[in-house]
Amino acid sequence: MRPLTEEETKTMFEKLSKYIGENIKLLVDRPDGTYCFRLQNDRVYYMSEKILKLATNISRDKLVSVGTCFGKFTKTNKFRLHITALDFLAPYAKFKVWVKPGAEQSFLYGNHVLKSGLGRITENTQQYQGVVVYSMADVPLGFGVAAKNTQECRRVDPMSIVVFHQADVGEFIRNEDTLT
Amino acid sequence: MRRLYVGGLSHTVTQKDLKDRFGKFGEVEDVELRTRTDEEGVPYKTFSYININISDADLKKCLTVLNKSKWKGGTLQIETAKESFLDRLAEEREAAEEQRQQPRVVEDKRQKMLDSLSKAGVENFTMKAAVPGTEVPGHKDWVVSKFGRVLPVLQLQGQKGSKARTLKYDPSKYSHNIRRLDRTAEDQPTPVTQLTWEVQGGDDDISKKRRGEFPPFEPSRPKKSRTDKVNSHNAVGQTRLKQSVNSVNHREIYPLTNGYEPPTNHRPAQRKEVRYPGSDVDSDEEIRRMVAAQDSSRFTLGRKEEDEDNLEVVGLDYLVRAGRKDDEGENDYDSADTDELLASKKPPLTSTQERLTPPTENHLSGNDTDRRKKKKKTRTAGEEEESSAKAEDQLTSRKPSSEQQREDSGKKSSQGQSEKIVVIPVVEAPHSESDSDEDEEEEEDEDEEELDLANDSDSDSDYDAMFANVTHLEISLADLQRIAEESEQTSETTTPSIPGSSSEQEHKPKSASAPKKGTTPEEILASIMAEDSSEDEQTMRKKKKKRKAAMSMPLPAFQGTKTLNKESELEDSQRRHEGEEEGGEEVKKQKLDSEAPQLNLHETDSKTTRMTREAGRETTESSEEEEEEEEEGKTEEEQEDEEEEEKEDKKEVVKDKDAQGVGNTEKTEPDSSSSSDEDDDEEEEEGEVTKTGPSVLTKAAAKASPSSSTSSSGEDEDKLVSAKVAAKAAPPPAHQSESSSSSSSSSSSEEEEEEERPAPLHRVPLGAKEEEERQREANMRRLAAVQQRQKETEEHKKLIQGALANLDGPAAGGGKHIVFGSDDDDDDDEEEKQQVTLGVTASKKTLFQDSQSEEEATDDEAAANKEGGEKGKVHLKPSVSQLFSGSEDEEDGDEEEDSSRFDIRPQFEGRAGQKLMELQSRFGTDERFRMDSRFLEDDNKEEEPEKKTSVDDEALEEERKKNLSILQSVLGSSQQTSSSKTSVKAKTFRDVSALHYDPSKEEHAAFETKTEETKESKAARRRKREEAQKLPEVSKEIYYDVSGDLKAVFGASKDEVTEEEEKPNWDQEEEEEEEEEEEGDPKNEQSTLLSSLLSADQSAEKDESSGFKFSFFGDETETESKQTEEYKVESIQAPKVSWQQDPRFHDSSSEEDEEEQEEDETQSSITAKTAEEETPSNNHRFFFFLEDSRLTEGPRLFCRPAHLEEQREQWEERRTALRQEYRKKHKDARKKVKSSQKS
Repeated sequence: MRPLTEEETKTMFEKLSKYIGENIKLLVDRPDGTYCFRLQNDRVYYMSEKILKLATNISRDKLVSVGTCFGKFTKTNKFRLHITALDFLAPYAKFKVWVKPGAEQSFLYGNHVLKSGLGRITENTQQYQGVVVYSMADVPLGFGVAAKNTQECRRVDPMSIVVFHQADVGEFIRNEDTLT
Repeated sequence: MRRLYVGGLSHTVTQKDLKDRFGKFGEVEDVELRTRTDEEGVPYKTFSYININISDADLKKCLTVLNKSKWKGGTLQIETAKESFLDRLAEEREAAEEQRQQPRVVEDKRQKMLDSLSKAGVENFTMKAAVPGTEVPGHKDWVVSKFGRVLPVLQLQGQKGSKARTLKYDPSKYSHNIRRLDRTAEDQPTPVTQLTWEVQGGDDDISKKRRGEFPPFEPSRPKKSRTDKVNSHNAVGQTRLKQSVNSVNHREIYPLTNGYEPPTNHRPAQRKEVRYPGSDVDSDEEIRRMVAAQDSSRFTLGRKEEDEDNLEVVGLDYLVRAGRKDDEGENDYDSADTDELLASKKPPLTSTQERLTPPTENHLSGNDTDRRKKKKKTRTAGEEEESSAKAEDQLTSRKPSSEQQREDSGKKSSQGQSEKIVVIPVVEAPHSESDSDEDEEEEEDEDEEELDLANDSDSDSDYDAMFANVTHLEISLADLQRIAEESEQTSETTTPSIPGSSSEQEHKPKSASAPKKGTTPEEILASIMAEDSSEDEQTMRKKKKKRKAAMSMPLPAFQGTKTLNKESELEDSQRRHEGEEEGGEEVKKQKLDSEAPQLNLHETDSKTTRMTREAGRETTESSEEEEEEEEEGKTEEEQEDEEEEEKEDKKEVVKDKDAQGVGNTEKTEPDSSSSSDEDDDEEEEEGEVTKTGPSVLTKAAAKASPSSSTSSSGEDEDKLVSAKVAAKAAPPPAHQSESSSSSSSSSSSEEEEEEERPAPLHRVPLGAKEEEERQREANMRRLAAVQQRQKETEEHKKLIQGALANLDGPAAGGGKHIVFGSDDDDDDDEEEKQQVTLGVTASKKTLFQDSQSEEEATDDEAAANKEGGEKGKVHLKPSVSQLFSGSEDEEDGDEEEDSSRFDIRPQFEGRAGQKLMELQSRFGTDERFRMDSRFLEDDNKEEEPEKKTSVDDEALEEERKKNLSILQSVLGSSQQTSSSKTSVKAKTFRDVSALHYDPSKEEHAAFETKTEETKESKAARRRKREEAQKLPEVSKEIYYDVSGDLKAVFGASKDEVTEEEEKPNWDQEEEEEEEEEEEGDPKNEQSTLLSSLLSADQSAEKDESSGFKFSFFGDETETESKQTEEYKVESIQAPKVSWQQDPRFHDSSSEEDEEEQEEDETQSSITAKTAEEETPSNNHRFFFFLEDSRLTEGPRLFCRPAHLEEQREQWEERRTALRQEYRKKHKDARKKVKSSQKS
């Protein structure tokens, strides 16, 4: 477990900023305590200082998970967001997409969100903007990337994809073994 | 009458205008002005409908005159309109009504006929024991034939060919020709609906249809194209089968309907519906179908299509309401279950089902919910519910036993047994009664308390409060409704079942709510009267009375008491006689007495009977009545007896008073005394009752027991109440035993009931006038009492509040911990008790006054009702007000505490404090283990490791900072702004175009100063001028110094000279100077200005390089600096630095100026101020700015804009043109002259 290098931090923040923008600051600079990002097994964990200290007692190879996994670095050093970060990102999300109840399941099975399943969308969402997907009951379901901007979303035909799937809470079940 | 549509009106047109305008043509009956407004409420269309009596000619005239005429800015458009739909509707209805009435007349006729026939002894067209061939007596046209069959004499119309027009058929001649076809069956015509036969058949659709089982109607047919539509059109009259054949291609969508429809049925329909708008639909049928399809689709279809259209787009600030799922209304937004998804193709649950469920729920849950709701309305405190529920529980638990007993008794109907059985609750009472009144009651209370464990004063009072506003009449009504059902069930049994009593309670609340309809008893009475049942009731009552009179079943015990009370009234004496007679029939009485405790049940019986009557279930009622006749004869009369006892008690009292009042001619007795009298009387009565033989005793016991039950809680007030109640009302016990917690309220309500009934009784003995008088008196007294009571209650409230506030004060102040100990509570209780006693003593008087007045106001039911309510309140007040005030106070205290609760207490502040807190929290809030700061260890040791950890913290901090910096880089500009907050002052970019002066902003004060200065400058200018006039001498010397430098700067001595010469000129005469400057070489001026500009630019550059200061007034300051520069040439004396050589001089000066400007508001030095003040004045004097257009234009004036040749050419051209023009004019003039001469 080690702190992230500058490069890593940058890539990660770049990714995160797609979803929550400058609200990352609220994650880094929290009033309720010191929180930090740590890399372990290519995975980035977000944890409080307290937990960090506790975790120091565990050897690196034995440490499976600590704090909250935000995502992992791929072999090509790209950062991939994990669904576990949803709890931290959803409250700060700038752009949101609400899916209709009928399309919820589809999304939770890892499919993209089609126009027909799009219930509501934040205005001024740009193309390829990271969005947090909500159910119509305002339950965060996962992450996505807007395939179209808001205006286009109005016009496109019902079967076109409006949000690319990134991560969804269904992964908690589907990828139970790999999610940490 | 015609109805005209008038369109194109202006919005200002009023009805009157229209009336006036159209009044010329006919009589305007009605003007209906309509204005259409858009969403913003701006009217865009105004029109009106006018009902006008107008002849056709007039109408024509009107149309020609007014139609398309302009009026008040609008073009009128008049058309004849259809009659108002309301009128039409009314007409239609009238017509329908008439139609309906007509056949009735026919029916009536027939009925009459039948009646008359039946009168003559004809039954169902058969007359028994009549000689065949004879006329029916009274009916010429009817003849009795064989088998007693009555036949009419018929006039038959002959056939066309025959001679005789009419044939008379006289059945008497053919009477013997009749043959009975069916001997066994009576010739009762079976209704058509019952004419059934069975159709054999399988489960296929055809046989089903044969049997009349048609599949549900399908609103819409599939149609793909026009041709299809045509097909369907053709098929309208044809069979469904054919249609389906026609639309074969849609078969899978619309299969031949067989009983069950495929679940996916609606889907195609929807699809088609979507298609509909495209195809042009003309026929009505199709439109109808379309509408139906839409309707159905709205329910059944998935909302896919619908939703697709309304994609919501929300703003960035859209609030996510997490966990809204439980919201019922948001159902459709719920996450879809897999089941739901699977079922999504099926029609969603119809809303009707959902709608249905709540009522059923209500129904199932019983009246409880209803009752509670209603209760809530009447309730003053929230706890009442609980209490009432408790009471109910009690009752229900209790009732059964008594009921059982009662039933047993009823079955056995042996006095002894019944006595034995019934007495149990009662037995103790009589014994105790003999001791002393108060004590006895207390004991009874205790006994009762044992029985009713859950009762407390609160519930009592609450219950009272609940029923305070309740009129009992309605209670009975409500009860009746419910009991009707039960009575049906139990109609066979002589005694009504237990549930009645228990359920009765449940109904009470209903009744409680009922009074809202009519708060005053009169209203209620009226409402009751309106119902059919009321009549029955009344008749029943009358019957009862009659029965009573006949059977002479009066109030034995009480008459006895009366006699003991030495009431001397004829009626009473009579009754007494009756009572004595009754006394002779001790057996009966005893039985009755023994049943006394079950009175409540009897009451319920009576209620049930009443109910049944009300409900109009005459059959059951009659049977019940018959069956219960005996029972009621006893029970009801018993009740009545008891009630009458009460009444008579009251009457007695009243009469006493009346007698006293009349005899002594005292208008009003002192209320208190009278009340005490009453009390005494009551007590006496009780005492006497005890003396009056065993039967009486039992009765008294019966009486006492309910009272005791009423005063189940040991509170003083309750006791008082119970005493009163016991003395006054025997029947209340019934209710009280039911609603064991309710004492006064029920009694009051009872009283109402009583009052209803006694009314006639009273009227008999007392003259109407007397009554009136009494009423008035009672009213007066009541009002006075009410006022007094209100006052007292208020006082009482205050007292309690004060007391409680005091209580809470220290608790709130000293209580750092919330102590849940019992001490405080006890204290509270004590306090409360005290208060209660106080309140009771205070309200005692009023109470009795009330009772008195109530009793007097027998007829004034409203008054009584109020009284009841008031009384209830009074009873309530002590406890309720306590409750409230207490709670309020507590709340107040709590609020204070709450506010301070979350403050960090001083001892917990800081790290040490935190530790202390932790320590303390380990031991909870127990005072004994409270940890002091003494328990805190020294922190010194612990701080060292913290330092170690702080190293880590630092590392983390660094990391954090690094992260932040990376974040900045990632986010770019947006992050920078936030990060640069610390250095905001250094770099401020102000967009000049976007900058607006905002007086509320401090920064913008800088803008203000200038305007002020310009104002000041006027005054200051003169001074300065004067000063300037003086100055020159001094300045000259300096000037020379400066000039040397200037020389160095500009290198041109001439410039210097000019400037030198100019300077003094300025000071003396501005205008001259202007001219001079203009006349003088402007280029010099320009050069100097340029240089200054340059320097300014340099300074600006400097600024940018150093601090990047780009401000709105930065420019001005720079210009100012230039201007000041000119002036400061004079003012600055012998600068040490050779400032002209220093290119940064201007810069520095400008900076100074800036500073001065900024500091201007914050008391800058006077010198600086003066300098600043001078600058504007300079501004005025010095006419040349940097980009002064004059400087550029001026020089041009001195040289020719064009060459001389060119100018000449221009002139040539012009000249020719002018010449031509002149010639032309000349010609014209000449022509004119010529023409004039000719003419």
